[in-house]
Amino acid sequence: MRSVALGLRLVILAVFAVFFVAPVLWLILAPTKSDHALVTGSPFSFGSFHQVSLAWKHLDAFSDHIFRTWIGNSLLYAFSATAIVLATAIPAGYGLAFGTFPGRKLLLTLTLIVMIMPAAALVLPIFLELNSLHLIGSVLAVILPFSFFPFGVYLAYIYYATAVPPDLLDAARTDGCGEWLTFRRVALPLAKPVVALVFFFSFVADWNNFFLPYAIIADSSQYPIQVGLSDLLSSTPSFNPAQGGGGQQVNIFRPELALATLIAVIPVAIVFLLSQRALVRGLVGGAVKE
Amino acid sequence: MRGFEGSAAVRSRWRRPSWTILTSLAVIAIAVTVSACGGSSDSGSTSSQAATASKSSSAKSGPASGDLTVWVDSVRLPVAKAYAKAHPNVHLKIVTFDGDANGATTLQTKIQLWNRSGKGWPDIIFSEQVNDPVWMAKKPFEYAAPVKGLVPDNALSQWPAPSTAQCTIDGTQYCVQDNLAQVVLWVNQKLMHRFGYDVPTTWQEWAALGQKVATEHPGYIIGNSGDSFSHWVYLWSGQCPLQQLKSDKVVINSTDGHCTRMASLLDPLIKNGTVPPLSVFTPDFAKKYGGAKDKVLLMPGPSWYATALFHDTLHIPAGQITAAMPLKWESETPVTTGQVGGGPWIISRHSKNLNAAGDFVTWATTVFNDNRPGYPAYAPLADRWLQGLADDSYFAADPTPALKGAANLIWKGWNLVTYPDQPVWSNTVVTKLVAGKPLSSLLQPLGDGLAHAAEAAGYQVDRQ
Amino acid sequence: MTSSYAEAPRERGLRAAVRRTRGLRSGRGLPFVLPYLPFLIAFGLAPMIYAVKLAFTNDEGSWTGLHNFTRTVDDYRFGPAFKHIFVYTGVWLGALVVFVVVLALLLHGRANRVSTSFRFLFYIPGALAGAASVLVWLFMLDPSVSPGAFLLHHVLGANLFVESIAPGHLPFIFAMIAFWTGAGGWIVVMYGALNTIPPDLEEAARIDGAGPIAIALRLKLPLIRKWIAYMVILSFATGTQLFVEPQIVNQASLGLVPDTWSANQLAYQKAFRYADFNAAAAIAVDLLVIGLFAAVLIVTRTGLFRTED
Repeated sequence: MRSVALGLRLVILAVFAVFFVAPVLWLILAPTKSDHALVTGSPFSFGSFHQVSLAWKHLDAFSDHIFRTWIGNSLLYAFSATAIVLATAIPAGYGLAFGTFPGRKLLLTLTLIVMIMPAAALVLPIFLELNSLHLIGSVLAVILPFSFFPFGVYLAYIYYATAVPPDLLDAARTDGCGEWLTFRRVALPLAKPVVALVFFFSFVADWNNFFLPYAIIADSSQYPIQVGLSDLLSSTPSFNPAQGGGGQQVNIFRPELALATLIAVIPVAIVFLLSQRALVRGLVGGAVKE
Repeated sequence: MRGFEGSAAVRSRWRRPSWTILTSLAVIAIAVTVSACGGSSDSGSTSSQAATASKSSSAKSGPASGDLTVWVDSVRLPVAKAYAKAHPNVHLKIVTFDGDANGATTLQTKIQLWNRSGKGWPDIIFSEQVNDPVWMAKKPFEYAAPVKGLVPDNALSQWPAPSTAQCTIDGTQYCVQDNLAQVVLWVNQKLMHRFGYDVPTTWQEWAALGQKVATEHPGYIIGNSGDSFSHWVYLWSGQCPLQQLKSDKVVINSTDGHCTRMASLLDPLIKNGTVPPLSVFTPDFAKKYGGAKDKVLLMPGPSWYATALFHDTLHIPAGQITAAMPLKWESETPVTTGQVGGGPWIISRHSKNLNAAGDFVTWATTVFNDNRPGYPAYAPLADRWLQGLADDSYFAADPTPALKGAANLIWKGWNLVTYPDQPVWSNTVVTKLVAGKPLSSLLQPLGDGLAHAAEAAGYQVDRQ
Repeated sequence: MTSSYAEAPRERGLRAAVRRTRGLRSGRGLPFVLPYLPFLIAFGLAPMIYAVKLAFTNDEGSWTGLHNFTRTVDDYRFGPAFKHIFVYTGVWLGALVVFVVVLALLLHGRANRVSTSFRFLFYIPGALAGAASVLVWLFMLDPSVSPGAFLLHHVLGANLFVESIAPGHLPFIFAMIAFWTGAGGWIVVMYGALNTIPPDLEEAARIDGAGPIAIALRLKLPLIRKWIAYMVILSFATGTQLFVEPQIVNQASLGLVPDTWSANQLAYQKAFRYADFNAAAAIAVDLLVIGLFAAVLIVTRTGLFRTED
């Protein structure tokens, strides 16, 4: 009876594992095949590395190497905004957890409210705001809104409130440390797990954010890679054949699209893998079984 | 004291690298902020260079030079590249976009963004939507520049009158069309001979042939109904009043006799599979009917299907395809046909280099002829293009008489409006055709959808 | 720190000093929060207030009451758009709650290397959020290239791509894409939440004779209720603001799927195509209110944010 239950458990887990992994596996193998092979051959066959380099050549040639520009933009936006987030959210979480200033609770509530508000619904007013400051067209128009990450503040607050005992800070103050030194010498070094967490969530959120850049960026050379992917999709024959011809000159077909998608996720996949530990350990703030 | 020991123990567990990451992030952030403050757009350099180039719109002298930004779809990319190569004095920036295809609203959103931020407009845009210049010329977009003075007058006079009329809004011409897109009947002559069929001349003969093909040669097709523009092929040809401007109202009468009779003609053919609800450009279509399968017997479609569809997309073997005159309804006259495209080139009124912009558009429409997919709208170039097509050994027989003959037959009762009708056809009709519903039952929802779109765009609608 | 016994003078002095610093009630901690404030105001509060203002005024700034709301409701695309996102959100939340919890419980039942590997595998698609995941699924939904072609035939009845994306399928397809990318992360969260359950409780239940299923349902599940509620709130907010998936499928389907399928797409078109910011703001406020309502409902019913817990 017990082995049947165990077997059933394994089957269910395996079925879901296939569901989650098979498309990714397909994606990794797709650029190794030609468009024709994708349609006629087995979905999980391996083609050739030569095909991958061909696909990259076509992709890179699209619109004057704009693909590289898009990746560069994403890196710029994500790293800059995340740096600002870390610089503002960690101290803010600390201040909210241990502070005693009036309005502390209000600030916390406001942060929570804004956190659960649909961000996309705020894009329009943010656009109008940025426009009135003449920032539309500058990279700051993307970086500054990205730098507001209430979830990061909340994470830092939860972490400081639950994992750092106030006694530690009092001990530092007893020793004569002022507020800033207390933070720098005691609270900040202890924040490494939450720093990793906030870095992870902020970076991934910025990397994957579609709506804000889609709505407010007019120059396609400023697109981050997610918006660039949709631009690629709509400009190429595979999915958007042009009237007046098939547009084959652009040379972007399914292997190239698959390659573009793959490259678009590599940076965040790296961040994912590196942050695995911090996520599992730090997220709930409790003991980890293994 | 315990607290300190505890924190020391805690501290020793964490490795140094996290600090390195933090500090390097901070450095990046500072570097980025500093560089971002230096400004990002290069419109400054454009204007300083363009200051030396002539800004007068009437100047025709002097070679084109300076900076130009052109937005093209993937099909017009070769034209833009060829221009850049032939005109080294012009620094041409080419941006490939979706061409506003299939009724997209890309250009509307982009022009709004540029208008709001006061900068960023490309000097030239190519659009696949023939109705785009209509709203581009009006408020709140006000993007299009009148072409008079930018394209030489003696060239402008050589566009056919209907083509010029489509580019004329409130008395001023705001664009020039790249190509004419008259609908003709494409014929696979080789297959027709093999099966012993005569090329139909009327819609009725075509439909009867469809019934025959369904029984004698199942799997072969005589047309398709699943493109976002299929209503332009059948309903525009059939004189169905879906988009007719009468003073300031738009007449949308989808249950008019012209519409219902064409739908009744098509329904059995869609049902028996000879006019499938698929798009000719999808990989599924190519797989089922193209290439080695070679199952396209007949295809009512625009002039640019010539090489772009049959050769480039479907890879139909050489020596099979030709064109015949558009089908007529029994013996009714005059014979009318539909139009699928005819993309306009539009010049920006904000351009700082109107001289070069005009030169580009003129060159692209009157000179460029290298594997041009579309029937040029500019008449002298059309003659050369037709000659090239007549000499092209790809075709089984000379398709040019039909193409030339159909050029003047486009029905004038379908007018250009500010809203796209393709999305309405696609999501009210095609989705249901795919699900098996007959076209006749979908005419009312089609009319309703078009009426909604018209009202949302600010028109008064007359449903008759 | 109690002082019920006599202390050495030095300790007394220390405690007094600490009490003195603690006495600086007003202002402690404020400087740390200051860098965050401009962002909260500029990109959190001000836009919310601005959106509300736009929703109640016209393009000249004069007060119009509920006019923007009524005329957007009258728009022929409004009804379908909201219907779509409600169906989508319902399906997605249902799938999340059921499958994430079940999978987390299954993984937690026997925590070992196998369990860790499965957790990692579930997590992988999370790297492909946004446009990338939609692109992958465009391929997965195309019967001619998809490895799941037989599933498409039998479950969706689709032999062609256009059949896969038939209007009736769309909420389920979008929910599946969202589940595929989001479930892994939530499984990790739920697993971590399950880890906070003291092992003694589990031991005690096992000694009492409870089988693994009983332990899962009667012991573990109630203890992670808070986290499930948290997941539902956050997912509800992001669900109703669906944009990327239908926007990209609109491009890929050549317009078969309309560009106003979801409410957010409609708001986008209103704002950036028709330049009707007031109508767009009205739709945005509708979404804000729905999100707020759902959040308040769930928070009050589960006592989620009681920080004393």
